[in-house]
Amino acid sequence: MTNDVAEKRVQRPAAEVRYAGELARLRATDDGERPPGWALSLRAARRFILGDEAAGISRKFVGDASLIDRALVSLATSRGLMLVGEPGTAKSLLSELLAAAVSGDSTLTIQGGAATTEDQIKYSWNYALLVAEGPSTRSLVPAPLLRGMAEGRVVRFEEITRCPLEVQDCLLSPLSDRVLAIPELSGEDALVFAREGFNVIATANTRDRGVNEMSAALKRRFNFETVFAIPDFATELALVEQEAAQLLTGSGVAVPPRRDVLEVLVTAFRELREGRTERGDSMERLSSVMSTAEAVSVAHAVGLRGWFLRGDAGSASDIVACLAGTAAKDNADDLARLRTYLEQHAGRRKGAHWKEFYDSRHLLPG
Amino acid sequence: MSRDMPRTELLTIVGVRHHSPACAGLVREAIERLRPAHVLIEGPADMNPRIDEFLLGHELPVAVFTSARQGMASRASWSPFCDYSPEWIALTEGARIGAEVRFIDLPAWHPAFAERANRYADAERRYTQAVDGLCRTLGMDNSDTLWDHLVEIDAGEVPSAELGARLNAYFDLIRGAVDGGRGTEAERSTDEVREAYMAQWIAAALRSSPERPVLVVCGGFHRPALLRRISELSFPAELPDTSWPEVPEPEPDTVAVSYLVPYSFRRLDAFDGYQSGMPSPAYYQRLWELGPRGAARSLTEDVVERLRKRNQRVSTADLIAARVTGEGLAAVRGHRHPGRADLLDGLVSALVGEALEQPLPWTGRGGLAVGTHPAVVEMVAALSGDRTGRLHPDTPLPPLVHDAEVELERHRIPDSGVLTLDLTVSPRRDASRLLHRLRVLRIPGYERASGPDPAAEDSTFTEEWRISAAPDRLSALIEAGGHGPTVELAARGLIGERVLSRQGLDTAAGALFDAVLCGIDDLSSQVLSGLADSIASDSDVEALGTVLTAVLGLWRHDRLLDAAQSATLGAVVGGAVARLLWLLELVTGGAGTPAQPRRIAAVRAVRDAVRHASGPLELDAERAGAVMTRIAGNDDAPADLRGAAFGFGWSLGTPPPDAERTIRAAGGPAVLGDWLAGLFALAREQCLEEASVLMVIDELVASMTDHDVLVALPALRQAFGYFPPRERETIAGQVVQLHGGADSGRALLRGRIDDPVALARGRELDSHVQAVLEREGLVG
Repeated sequence: MTNDVAEKRVQRPAAEVRYAGELARLRATDDGERPPGWALSLRAARRFILGDEAAGISRKFVGDASLIDRALVSLATSRGLMLVGEPGTAKSLLSELLAAAVSGDSTLTIQGGAATTEDQIKYSWNYALLVAEGPSTRSLVPAPLLRGMAEGRVVRFEEITRCPLEVQDCLLSPLSDRVLAIPELSGEDALVFAREGFNVIATANTRDRGVNEMSAALKRRFNFETVFAIPDFATELALVEQEAAQLLTGSGVAVPPRRDVLEVLVTAFRELREGRTERGDSMERLSSVMSTAEAVSVAHAVGLRGWFLRGDAGSASDIVACLAGTAAKDNADDLARLRTYLEQHAGRRKGAHWKEFYDSRHLLPG
Repeated sequence: MSRDMPRTELLTIVGVRHHSPACAGLVREAIERLRPAHVLIEGPADMNPRIDEFLLGHELPVAVFTSARQGMASRASWSPFCDYSPEWIALTEGARIGAEVRFIDLPAWHPAFAERANRYADAERRYTQAVDGLCRTLGMDNSDTLWDHLVEIDAGEVPSAELGARLNAYFDLIRGAVDGGRGTEAERSTDEVREAYMAQWIAAALRSSPERPVLVVCGGFHRPALLRRISELSFPAELPDTSWPEVPEPEPDTVAVSYLVPYSFRRLDAFDGYQSGMPSPAYYQRLWELGPRGAARSLTEDVVERLRKRNQRVSTADLIAARVTGEGLAAVRGHRHPGRADLLDGLVSALVGEALEQPLPWTGRGGLAVGTHPAVVEMVAALSGDRTGRLHPDTPLPPLVHDAEVELERHRIPDSGVLTLDLTVSPRRDASRLLHRLRVLRIPGYERASGPDPAAEDSTFTEEWRISAAPDRLSALIEAGGHGPTVELAARGLIGERVLSRQGLDTAAGALFDAVLCGIDDLSSQVLSGLADSIASDSDVEALGTVLTAVLGLWRHDRLLDAAQSATLGAVVGGAVARLLWLLELVTGGAGTPAQPRRIAAVRAVRDAVRHASGPLELDAERAGAVMTRIAGNDDAPADLRGAAFGFGWSLGTPPPDAERTIRAAGGPAVLGDWLAGLFALAREQCLEEASVLMVIDELVASMTDHDVLVALPALRQAFGYFPPRERETIAGQVVQLHGGADSGRALLRGRIDDPVALARGRELDSHVQAVLEREGLVG
């Protein structure tokens, strides 16, 4: 399977493909108790996500170790797992890793949106067969939830709160009674009972249409875990550096990003996100999302600009040029806040890159 | 090893974490097993002569409170003990088996503790890198979780030898990493000073009992260093010396006192950062008493009870889910029983069904952040507990406690209830002063509900106090004893300290008002010069003006609080006037900025001081006049200030030689209003009397273009705001006369603005204009 993917030059293979070697190693040495239907024991799953240098397992998620513990235990119980948090805090990555660790498969994914219907969640029909033969298991086209229940796997439901309320609620009986009715079929086929190993990981974003949009009945069936932005500067910087370097290599850039330029970038992101500078001045927070993921994409863009426009690794003035698109987007207020930040706070910092950052403030549009 | 040498194998050092039940168990086991001749404890050696005070039979938690006062500066620190403190077990169990029990660390006032408020904080907390590395390796959130994981959870089932070995390995690892150069030089040197001192005591104990075991109970962080030092000592050379080390004495100008105080779990848990030790005392108290299962059960009950008291729904299903999750987490994390974090994580998973705004407090470092989920707050509170200690009645108390009791009795102040005091009656005023002194000393339970405010013009003569029996009143009184032997002296000391704290003029002014309320008029000359410094170094004109206004009011009028003509306040007035004169002359620029009423008020305050107090306080009125004349003529000064300075001399009875000319020269339409605001604020009456003023202004306004009028109007409006309505009417009448009308000015003043339709139209027009301006990008 790995070779297939490599040949097809897939942009981003699924987690179980990317880390197939690590998963195989963990399975081979796993001597812990496995919850029924799980591919790994809880402790091995924890090591898969948090890393284990001695066993050659890379750390894939930067954050509280206890969050992973709680998430895994939730999945082993009869409640679903709801990952909530600001955009860009690696909720989807975490849900993918959890699914890959628990079921060995992270592809049973429902992408929530305004247009998501029950068909895309439960099942739909092959209409040619339906017309020709009537409803039967042959004409049934299972969607991720049905497959997850029948095969005993973890189903991922991304951005669940972006779905209409009544569509979300079709999860109620699969989660509480662990059964899905297919009224069109008869006999044994009319009820699909969930096999062991089935559970749901949902993610929701606290910025757009909050989790309040979920019904109380559905909320009760989930354990909530909040994923926070990375609290520690050094960790975030290291992560941005690592991810940006990887993306840049993928884009054909031969030089790695400069650490001192990234320091300026990450510091600015953190300060704009928290609304407080390192020395303690308070300022207005940006209304758009200043997540680590955004920082990585700005770092990537900075590297691309530097390499393809001038042949260097990118400079602090490139950050300003890229920030306008990320931080301010189309929001005039944010653009003004960004400009104030550059003028009042960046100017005070010492160091050549901060000076360059400050001097390039005219690159902001408007 | 020669036969003369004391046998260091008789030495056992139990390296503990302070306030750890597992370590307390280890200490108890070691005392039982070794039956040592000496039990040496990391604790203040100056308390050794008073060690009996500890054994009177207190209800824990209690603490040794130490206050060290040097001149006006004082520093307080605590050495807290609870039932499960290893040090407390060493003390009580050691005494029980008849061992000689001694504290062996430096006294709390010693410079080695300069940065420490909690003696029993975790030493390793200062070396976060070393601990963080360990946490990362083991996949733990922080050092508290790590500690539970390694030590507390299965302490009851692991043989003590194994547990001891585990502890030693942990602390050796951290100490090794720190000694490897990761700690900073200053931190290491305070540790080294203390370790050298403790090693002297250990050596003395080994010498004085060559045959029987010696047990040392100290922070595990110090254990490797102490062992090294003892092994390096050359005993034969030192053998003749069998005396105990000397306890250092404080510098002659430092007064250090130590007393036992009742302590509480809440305070124990309130230390944070470098000062913090083990969190969640109520949980560890239960762990000590009931073991891990019992602690988990009773804690869950406690949390549920607290949440239900707050009308939060906690269903049986939730409790089952919490239990299952907690047990599951314990299994994942390799714990035999659910630990503190397992339990809390389980409760949160089950009980909190929404996004959190703040990370869970037990996953990070530090206290509760604003926005922490209320259920989480209740959980932390349940773990923290509300137990408070009580001292045995025979415990010696500082003189201030007795003084306070006598004074409260003398003024017939009840233990609780509402007390209304008529301040015009002298004995009641004295009672009020006593209560204010207690309030200043931060003794809980004395709350002033209402009363005269020295900073405001207020006519009330009664004061109302709410007195309640606060549980920590005694400990607060004992701790206040660090500031002085009587309530009055302690309050005076504390107020002086606040004045000298250099936290800006507002703090100093607040302290000064407290001094008035407490009836403390003779603040020491040191405080007065400190206050003068604080005024002299403040460069905020507006704050100074506010303080001067308030203090001058007190100095002139206050009969009620006996502050009138007080020398203290007089000194403040003099200092503030001198400073303001200096600062006002330095204000330049800002020609375009609008008039600032607080700045103008500062000029007015100076004027009032010169008018009313220049005689008795020997203020230099001549200099003030000269400064103001210079400001008035300085084109670089802001317009409002120039106007105010121009009005200064006039209002003091020196009419300007040519007011008309000066007004003409005041400035163009953009600044005229601001200039007039300053002038009217100071010399309103004089302007009203001098008919030419109005004529000149009228003429200036009449000659303005339409655009100029628009520019000048807002500021002019503000300027005429200084006139009360009746005078405005007079002015309006004069204007009407100037323009040949015969009406009174009343109609002009009111205009037609009492017609609601016109008003609405006007507003509509205004908003339309604003919209157009915004559309064209002319206003921000």
